[in-house]
Amino acid sequence: MNSMLSVENLESGYGPMQVLWKPSLEVKKGSITSLLGPNGVGKSTLLLTVLGSVEPWGGKIMYEDEEVTYLPTHKKVDLGLTLAPEGKHLFGGMNVHENLIMGAYRKEAGQNINDSLELVYSLFPILKERDRQGAGTLSGGQQQMLTIARALMTKPKLMMLDEPSQGLAPILVGEVFETIEKLQAEVGLTILLVEQNVEASLNAADYVYIMHEGQIKAEGTADEIKGSSDIREVYLGI
Amino acid sequence: MIFTLLAGNLTHGLLLGGVYGLATMGLSLIFGVINVVNVGHGQFIMVGAFVTLTMFTTLGLSPVVSIPVALILGMALGFFFFYTVMRRLIRAPELTSLLATFAMGILLEEIAKLIFGADFRGYNWGVGRITLPITTIPMSKVYAFIGSIVIALFLYFWFSKTRLGTAIRAVIEDNEGATVCGVNVGWIYALSFAIGIGLTVMSGVLLTMFIPVGINPYMGGGYTLKAFVIAVLGGLTSPYGAFFAGLIFGLIENGAYTLFALIPGVAPFPLTVSLAFWMLFFLLLVKPTGLLGK
Repeated sequence: MNSMLSVENLESGYGPMQVLWKPSLEVKKGSITSLLGPNGVGKSTLLLTVLGSVEPWGGKIMYEDEEVTYLPTHKKVDLGLTLAPEGKHLFGGMNVHENLIMGAYRKEAGQNINDSLELVYSLFPILKERDRQGAGTLSGGQQQMLTIARALMTKPKLMMLDEPSQGLAPILVGEVFETIEKLQAEVGLTILLVEQNVEASLNAADYVYIMHEGQIKAEGTADEIKGSSDIREVYLGI
Repeated sequence: MIFTLLAGNLTHGLLLGGVYGLATMGLSLIFGVINVVNVGHGQFIMVGAFVTLTMFTTLGLSPVVSIPVALILGMALGFFFFYTVMRRLIRAPELTSLLATFAMGILLEEIAKLIFGADFRGYNWGVGRITLPITTIPMSKVYAFIGSIVIALFLYFWFSKTRLGTAIRAVIEDNEGATVCGVNVGWIYALSFAIGIGLTVMSGVLLTMFIPVGINPYMGGGYTLKAFVIAVLGGLTSPYGAFFAGLIFGLIENGAYTLFALIPGVAPFPLTVSLAFWMLFFLLLVKPTGLLGK
């Protein structure tokens, strides 16, 4: 009923190499769901497969009770599914404003472009100040803000974030997590978060999945995961 | 005297350079968007030349009419080759796409030979000439130059102002970024390839103004080489860079020809043909990102 996204026995990979070995997970409407695990276990691949830029080999992806497993990415974006990708993938030769306009590329997002810009500028005032500056010349933290802002311009219901705090100074990591909580509380988004920063993720998340070797190995509320020493030692190393 | 000659030849070079620029924009666009070097590039220029020749000699239609026809035919060829061949090769190793585009070129050459034969042909678009103090120029060359400027400007505004044009720029910058914005990247690949080929065939129309008896199924190869040099000069992925680099290349080529002709005992034409190789060599040595590149 109140499931935003559910993934069942998803399989995918690159060329002959299988990366996802039938993980299943569910993201509840309005929640922050966090996907944790060491490097290289398939977290990013899972997000990319849900978005459709990596093609699923098998399994099922349900979005708002509708099957979208093999739906092309641009149609998923139409439905309100988006990703703030790892490594940002901004358009470095365009300015901040043009990057945001590209976020509203789909027809429906384009119709409400002024509302979206207002929302984005109120969340990230620095982007308004820098709106004619080249995206490639922004600082790392500002680029991360722009990546989230550009994803927000697509008018999403579910935003997936891949390593949003990667490479940022500790003070900025705090800012990124504050932003994510704002997106949930004030904008009303559902969040699926992949992060290396375990402590911050556990504090922000409502529900947590632990991934290892392409599979989901454990799940629970953030408090349950925090309390379980087995899970912490084996999969998170803390 | 020598300066008059040089100035005159540089004027011709500039006019031809505009067409070179336009002829290279398609190559840069295709390389920028799908990362494929189109080794069959010159053969698409040849197609444009034959379109113009046929429409002029059998239907009596002015080359001006051939421009939109070439664009439409070129885009149709582009979509055809994209969906039959190129789509499968986007993430393939470079050698595969080099061979495939090389094969497309040979295919076009042989089809042209079947239809038109292997003779050198030409036509005469009698639109008069203009006499300047330094030289006399056929008006057809002036029109070709104006045509290439107009098309290049149109493309510039289309890329910077329209939704689809911006999406193509976004895919060139970062195709994963474009994907998460909801751009149908597969369609942008197809469209850009078609536009790239359309531009190239269209440049073949304008090129006929400079080669009075040079239309031949095998005329393309030389232009592929020149387009490579111009594309590198212009920074490879920038269609505008390619256009300005075309102007520069036209000037250098004709200026060098004039100077080579002054050296006793030297055949200026073969030396000028080899110039493109030398330019490529030194450019890659000194500034591999191109004169206009970053």
